[in-house]
Amino acid sequence: MDYTKQIQEIASKLFAEEKIDIFIGYRQNAFDDNQVPILVTVPADVPNLIFTDKSVLNLTNYLKFEHTRNKRVGIVVKGCDSRALNMLLTESQVKRENLYVIGINCTGVLNEKGEKAQNCLECVMPDAVVYDEMIGTPSGKKEYSVNVDVKELAAKGLVERGEYFQEIFENCIRCNACRHSCPLCYCTKCCIDQESAVLYNGSNTPSSAFHALMTWSLHLAGRCVDCRNCEKACPSHLPLHLLHKQNEMVIYENFQQHLAGMEKDDRGAFYKYSMKDPDDFIM
Amino acid sequence: MARVGVFTCFCGANIADFVDVPRVVEETRKIREVRCSIEYKYMCSDPGQQMIRDAIVQQRLTSVVVAACSPRMHEKTFRKALSDAGMNPYLLEVANIREHSSWVHQKDKKAATDKAIDLIRMAVAKSIANEQLYEISVPVTKRALVIGGGIAGIQAALDIADARIPVTLVEKSPSIGGRMAQLDETFPTLDCSQCILTPKMVDVASHPYIELIPYSEVIELDGFVGNYKAKIRKKASYVNFANCTGCGACWQKCPVKVPNEYNMNIDKRKAIYTPFPQAVPNKPVIDAAHCTMLLKGKCGICAKVCEKGAIDFKMQDEIIEREIGAVVVATGYDLWDPKPYEEYGVGRYKDIITSLEFERMVSANGPTGGVPQRPSDGKVPKTVVFIKCIGSRDEAKGIEYCSKICCMYTAKHAILLHHKVHDSHAYIFYMDIRAAGKGYEEFVKKAQVDTAATYLRGRVSKIYKKGDKLMVRGEDAQIGQLVEVEADLVVLATAIIAPKDNPNLARLLGISYDKYGYLSEAHPKLRPVETAKAGIFLAGCTQAPKDIPDTVAQASACAAKVCGLFSGDTMKKDPMVSKVNTEFCSGCQNCVTVCPYGAIVTEEIPMGHGSKEMRVVSKVNEGVCQGCGSCVAICRSMAINLSGFTDPQIINEIVAI
Repeated sequence: MDYTKQIQEIASKLFAEEKIDIFIGYRQNAFDDNQVPILVTVPADVPNLIFTDKSVLNLTNYLKFEHTRNKRVGIVVKGCDSRALNMLLTESQVKRENLYVIGINCTGVLNEKGEKAQNCLECVMPDAVVYDEMIGTPSGKKEYSVNVDVKELAAKGLVERGEYFQEIFENCIRCNACRHSCPLCYCTKCCIDQESAVLYNGSNTPSSAFHALMTWSLHLAGRCVDCRNCEKACPSHLPLHLLHKQNEMVIYENFQQHLAGMEKDDRGAFYKYSMKDPDDFIM
Repeated sequence: MARVGVFTCFCGANIADFVDVPRVVEETRKIREVRCSIEYKYMCSDPGQQMIRDAIVQQRLTSVVVAACSPRMHEKTFRKALSDAGMNPYLLEVANIREHSSWVHQKDKKAATDKAIDLIRMAVAKSIANEQLYEISVPVTKRALVIGGGIAGIQAALDIADARIPVTLVEKSPSIGGRMAQLDETFPTLDCSQCILTPKMVDVASHPYIELIPYSEVIELDGFVGNYKAKIRKKASYVNFANCTGCGACWQKCPVKVPNEYNMNIDKRKAIYTPFPQAVPNKPVIDAAHCTMLLKGKCGICAKVCEKGAIDFKMQDEIIEREIGAVVVATGYDLWDPKPYEEYGVGRYKDIITSLEFERMVSANGPTGGVPQRPSDGKVPKTVVFIKCIGSRDEAKGIEYCSKICCMYTAKHAILLHHKVHDSHAYIFYMDIRAAGKGYEEFVKKAQVDTAATYLRGRVSKIYKKGDKLMVRGEDAQIGQLVEVEADLVVLATAIIAPKDNPNLARLLGISYDKYGYLSEAHPKLRPVETAKAGIFLAGCTQAPKDIPDTVAQASACAAKVCGLFSGDTMKKDPMVSKVNTEFCSGCQNCVTVCPYGAIVTEEIPMGHGSKEMRVVSKVNEGVCQGCGSCVAICRSMAINLSGFTDPQIINEIVAI
């Protein structure tokens, strides 16, 4: 998967036609094999753009910041990224008319070991679901699956699972990199930072970290698109996907196979009411 | 420093018997912020309230906790006590130690007491974070919507309109009148149903304050008390009422014959029809399901004979919108289908009919001209067996409740039968005779003595055919023997059931209904005409089976409630509404989608101080907000708080235990 040439062509065309102010893409990192995001504002920077199977990050994260919010933006999205973009559109965080979306029909990206990334192995929708221009051949919707780790975790009892998370979250340093890297964590003031939120406030004690991450995962339940930006950003290498993937699985099984961001105006299972929703918990 | 007063009520023995009140007082006095902890036998009584008022002044209290019954019961009482003492009434907090403790933990006094103390601790902690709130006033739309044009709807509409309040009366069928228009004579005075009903129907049609929308249904109701918006679908009648004179040429010439619902399908009507001669409005409608012109595009005879050109086959359903302040629901009742009574041969024997079919037969404007006839051969029946409680009080086949009116109308039928066929004899099988009501018992006596109807206490076990007669076999429990009656006609007093559409209507209006489909009143004894949703009232059988006097009384009660609601230009409203902290709002608009009242709108504010970039945030319309808290729960950034139930208040409560 190398679409560098196509993306550079499209970007220069967009700049030439003055359709965009900023182009968000990937560039090669200077000192290692990884790629980092680049916000191209002048046509001269277009040759820096690159797209290979090392283009891992979800760029829609950069749409939530003030300097891109009301600008005309060109952006590259893979399947999972496009679902995040759908969520942002649905939740009125970006305006569709401000965007020029280059949808990649993704064949999967590589992890740091050079193997196909785990979320790509479980990917349900490798094709971009929202785009103005498409690159690559669509491969269609895949069967839903979860990895063994998540299945094992789900099989554990509630208490045991709680203990497991409490244990691994002891390594959390409350740097909030997960939140910053998440495209759907755009709140003006996160609930975790608020004075009235006594449960997670103040220190980086294990209990406050646990509560903060649990709250965070619930706020993303039914919205998370499994792009794993958070996991890549975490300096403590916490397996954050276990939280999100488990929520996703529960929602998939209980709420008519719901997956986040597949359609525009779908706010997620927890944000709408359907007659088919499970109600066996009501006495 | 907060200064809280705690006032614990014995509620007579209701609380004191199961909660150790002196210990509660002793323990709560130890809470740091509590300045005084006082007990009294009835806190809601005047001396009790005086204690609160005195303590507020003497102890310079900053908030008050009353530990007593449910806030639904006396929150208003105590709030008033606070404002009388010069304190903001919303600084009151009620700890419900009756419903939540003493009543539910009657077997364990210690546990009940501990729970009561915890509840008070929470209330004290919450009250410290309570803020001063002020009532909101909301304008009222002075127009009532009455759903259903039977006697209940007619009475409610007339009473409201007589108070010079505009009413929109929506009726599903082409004419108002409802079930009462199908009746011949009414118990216990035997006055002619049509004679007392039709003047009221005409009044509805001519009343300057009533807008009658027949042949239509309410499809949407938005908003809240005083400010509802209703959408009404007016079904296409294919007759332009403005041109139609009601001459009747069309339905005389119409070649299509359809079973006549008004006469319980005993005879036929035409595809273009008025339900009955006294219909209001007296204009025909075309039954689209049967009209050959509408189905196959051929015929159109009615259009040819109509001199006024009132027939319009291209007419479409029309959506009418009305802004209204209150709703009266009067959708009436249906009759239970006696099919499960197989042992009676229901469906197999033509000469088994239901009471309403009998009613139509003995009715002067009925299909048989007022003389009962056997459906099988048209002969006048001499021996008629009436069987009561068909479906009613029958858990196995029907419903558990008593339909209330069957005892009375069966007695009436016995009398009417005697009036119409002098040499006839009525046998009535019954379980009990329930004749509570003014003149009711006398009326039943009249049936038993004057018309010599034979009342047999017992159930009928079987009906079978012998020649052209029906043999009714049952038990006479009073003599303990089996009896068999050779009957010409059997009349089943079928149960009253809630209209099939009631659950849908309830969902549409946002009110509750019971397991039978009857719409639920707010309180069975003290608020029998209100629903749990403010501004929606119930009249007639839609709430429970009842007779005409009760229905009319309830309809008038609804009218009184509506008039009371509309007595001022504005309505006071609790200030327990949501507030958006725009600083925290990220404009995801999830609150907009979850709000069941459409109370949340969006507005644009600058991105930062002095910034030219704008961002969208949510804004609550206080008049519309009902304080349900859905938006609070959905808001991830905790930008919405419900006044009176803010996050600091709730967290205080949690931390207190």
